[in-house]
Amino acid sequence: MAKRSYLGEMELMVLLAVVRLGDDAYGVPISQELLNLAGREAAVGSIYAALDRLGEKGFVTSKLGDPTPERGGRAKRYFHVTPAGARALTMTRTALTNLWSGLPQLKGKHA
Amino acid sequence: MSRKESNPPRLALWLLRRTSPGSHDQALAGDLVEQFSAGRSPVWFWRQVLIAIALGVLSEMRWYWPHFCYAIAGTAMPVIFGSAAHRAPGWLHWWTLPWPWSMLAREVSPAAILALTALAPLAAALAINGAFRWRSLFQTGLISVVLAGLAVYVPDVPWLMRPVPGDPYSKTMIWPEFQLLLCFFSFFVSAVLGCRSGRERPRLPA
Repeated sequence: MAKRSYLGEMELMVLLAVVRLGDDAYGVPISQELLNLAGREAAVGSIYAALDRLGEKGFVTSKLGDPTPERGGRAKRYFHVTPAGARALTMTRTALTNLWSGLPQLKGKHA
Repeated sequence: MSRKESNPPRLALWLLRRTSPGSHDQALAGDLVEQFSAGRSPVWFWRQVLIAIALGVLSEMRWYWPHFCYAIAGTAMPVIFGSAAHRAPGWLHWWTLPWPWSMLAREVSPAAILALTALAPLAAALAINGAFRWRSLFQTGLISVVLAGLAVYVPDVPWLMRPVPGDPYSKTMIWPEFQLLLCFFSFFVSAVLGCRSGRERPRLPA
């Protein structure tokens, strides 16, 4: 069976947040980025679920940082976009741009 | 905030550690503690933990869907082929066989027929998942027959049975749903144990 390689909405937003954050991409800043820029108050668990799926698709890798006292001695897990992840982002942007171009004025059915 | 309020709920953290099966449980807990230290409320903390647990369970279920297919098929088979399966001991002339084969033919053959028919949906689901192994099917079938054979005797437990009014020799189950649940559970466990040699769940590279 062909492996799914397209991005869901949450995966797309999380992946973009990881790209934006660069070397500081772990759970807390990713959730803040989603809140500040996309207006989404996503649960941390759902962000990790999306990151898990992105990892299975080979779009992100992760590494553990050092444990810190303000986190109760727990380490941060930093995420990085892979070349395959970057390609998936580019393909998604192209597809969305094509779909948006030449779109007639948006009107609801009952507007 | 008092000292007690400044600490994240320990029970929530314990639950998260115990029930979050993913590779991120420590990082996730650390993120929650970090945000809690920054002023989030215990209610927020609990909500995050419960969502994480629910998502973790759903994520695990994603990997066990062939096993669920098998359990559903195995539970439904008695309804579809039940009477045919229960005629099987007669076809095998169990009373002509020496012990213990007579007992095996009488008690286990219906379960074996039902398990074998339920293996077809499991095989299809494993093939779709790219995890088909003949060995997994064989092991699952074998474990199913053993568990289903054991399950035959569980309804004989006295506190699960009540007498049938007007028939002093017969008993019926107090909760008929219990037998269905037991059947579903035994087929699911059989598939999980039998397919352990199949494809491992991929983990995020560390």
